[in-house]
Amino acid sequence: MGVKVRIPTPLQKLTNGKAEVECSAKNIAELVDALEKDYPGIKERLSEGGKVRRFINIYVNDEDIRFVNKEETVLKDGDNISIVPAIAGGRLKNEVERLGT
Amino acid sequence: MLTITKSDLARILDHCLAGYPNEACGILGGRDGMVEKVYRMTNARPGPTTYEMDPEEQFRVMKDIREADLAMVGMYHSHPGGHAYPSSVDVERAYWPGTRLPNYPSAVYVIVSLLDRANPAVRGYRIDEGTVSEISLAVTEQLDDPTTTH
Repeated sequence: MGVKVRIPTPLQKLTNGKAEVECSAKNIAELVDALEKDYPGIKERLSEGGKVRRFINIYVNDEDIRFVNKEETVLKDGDNISIVPAIAGGRLKNEVERLGT
Repeated sequence: MLTITKSDLARILDHCLAGYPNEACGILGGRDGMVEKVYRMTNARPGPTTYEMDPEEQFRVMKDIREADLAMVGMYHSHPGGHAYPSSVDVERAYWPGTRLPNYPSAVYVIVSLLDRANPAVRGYRIDEGTVSEISLAVTEQLDDPTTTH
């Protein structure tokens, strides 16, 4: 038994189209390594220098790992992990705008 | 095409106007290209040229949408001082970091321009692998009664 990981659409090419995969890991850092073993390339998508990438949010059950223990957040059997890209945007100060379409 | 009722569109516009001069944002739940539920979200990085949905709220709303057997058919945000077209940052953030893989490929990005606050402009876009294409918005009285195109 391990944890269930919900895979967002843009990473499903790496998981052979699977939207949910199972893994064994004691914390988030281990989980990223375990996923990389099964789905090469996924670690680089999820993290940079051992830290989860900006604009990517990871939840253990309903808890955002940033407010628990980040990459060291402990996992236990049966946990549900969700990887969720942020919804964000903005405009550069000097951006020249396209005038509509 | 994305279909939305007049009253849901009014809720979006109210939210965007209330957030002025900062950007406002929200999520659209529905199915088959029809908006059935508008979720007004908290802009966790409020500013006249930035938005980022509050991550925990976003997580809860996405869960709510799944549990209601709906899909995230779109999301909206306002451009208080800009046109109703995605900025370069909007496009960049629509992709998984460092790639051209869209985070939410089936969602329509609705943008509300408040350049003319008495008459906001609303347009929808699909942001796919490296391309931005306009999606027409249909505004109806009720979801089963498509009438006008916005």
